[in-house]
Amino acid sequence: MNDLNKKLILSFLIVFFLGIVALFTLREATESKIRNLNVVSNVPSFELANFNGDIFTDNNLTDKITILSFVFTSCPDACPIMSENFSILQERFKDSDLIQFVSITVDPEYDSSDILEAFSEKYSNNNNWYFLRGDINYISTLSEKGFFLSASLLPAGHSTRFVLIDKKKNIRKYYEGTDDAAIMELQNDIVFLVNEKV
Amino acid sequence: MKLRLFYNSAVIATILSYLLIFIGGLVRVSGAGMGCPNWPKCGEGWIPPTNVDINQLNTTLAWIEFTNRMFGVVLGVSIIILNIIAIFYFRKNHTLLFYSILSLIFVVINGLLGGALVWFELNPYIKTAHMLFALVLVSILSYICIKSYKMLNPNIFQGLKNNIILSKSLIFLWILIVIEILLGTGLRTGIELIAIDNPLFSKSDQLDALPYYKYLHSILGFSLLFFSIYINYNLRNHPLLLARQLAYFITGMIVLQIFLGEMMIFFDLPQLTRLFHTWGSSWLVGIIIILYNCMKNE
Repeated sequence: MNDLNKKLILSFLIVFFLGIVALFTLREATESKIRNLNVVSNVPSFELANFNGDIFTDNNLTDKITILSFVFTSCPDACPIMSENFSILQERFKDSDLIQFVSITVDPEYDSSDILEAFSEKYSNNNNWYFLRGDINYISTLSEKGFFLSASLLPAGHSTRFVLIDKKKNIRKYYEGTDDAAIMELQNDIVFLVNEKV
Repeated sequence: MKLRLFYNSAVIATILSYLLIFIGGLVRVSGAGMGCPNWPKCGEGWIPPTNVDINQLNTTLAWIEFTNRMFGVVLGVSIIILNIIAIFYFRKNHTLLFYSILSLIFVVINGLLGGALVWFELNPYIKTAHMLFALVLVSILSYICIKSYKMLNPNIFQGLKNNIILSKSLIFLWILIVIEILLGTGLRTGIELIAIDNPLFSKSDQLDALPYYKYLHSILGFSLLFFSIYINYNLRNHPLLLARQLAYFITGMIVLQIFLGEMMIFFDLPQLTRLFHTWGSSWLVGIIIILYNCMKNE
């Protein structure tokens, strides 16, 4: 065997080896993304009122992919960014009727139905975003015990994380609602859940 | 002896840089670019966690991205060694010294661009710049390789006649290949921007939504094939075996690239194909530099 042939065979083997490594890595990467979306917990049963007076319960989450947040309208820092991010996601997924958004106010005393409606008009461009209110103690417990999100010293102490809930009412993952990279990740995970066979 | 040391060191740096382009491509197609959410640290520490992370960091993606960074460091060290040899032994040879220092500058810039990519959350323009600088880096390293190889084996290259038309054709081919690669990365960027605004688009929807320049990439690809065949034909009687082999390699690689490119259109952009499509194009850039310089009589 001459020198060139040896080199060619060696190059072929190296490229082949790299291909195998790449295949393995790509498969691992895909599986890790699925693992990262494992079910965290079930959504607790709850009952709250939408700003238009309709009752909204956990049953409204069935067969939908829901992104849920805790906000309040007079919040100065995080909430406008969080709501803006909801708005962006709502626009990007406007062609799918599988996806819905839920914002629960942590300041029901100030956030009357009218104020929530005005807030909705400011941020929402579609009727798939629900702004819910209820008793403050009930919401505090729901946040802490039901969704495992801190809720000390409400309203200011609410969590800024978004919750991703699948079609079977499972909590799948949390995302920092003010972080662009996390929002991008959430967007990719929503696509994954849309295509997930249940 | 010193020259052989320098040459070996340049070859190692070149091979490492090609491997790094491969790993970088792997990071991109596996979607591990933000695997480490910060830079230069990865998560809380300098090394990503090995077990399941409480902060929901995807450790698999973190390690893929971290491997890319570590390999970048290895390449950086190999280029520093190359520079040390150049400074110690080849201070008088301004070409070797100059290009060694240039490669060091480019590897540092590209490391920082990698950091900028994380800071700016995979901004598509920085991605393109990161890739482009990697191509410039392999070009410089390939040039150092062939230059020192010629000094090491002057007898092989003795009595070569310069062929101005062929040399100019090769320069032209190199420029066209770089344009072709930029068009390709432009397509990739276009697809990513479309996917951000339309997350529910299928792969074929994304391709359909791309503007007209998607055809330019294919058309130029086929033109490059004919151009390389022309170069091959003119090189068929070239006295240097290496030159003829490199020309064959170029044509073969272009054929492979066209094949991979068409596969991507028909099979909805499979990840492994994308990876080898990108990687193969980076080979072309360096090989043309080597061919051009090994034909040149100095």
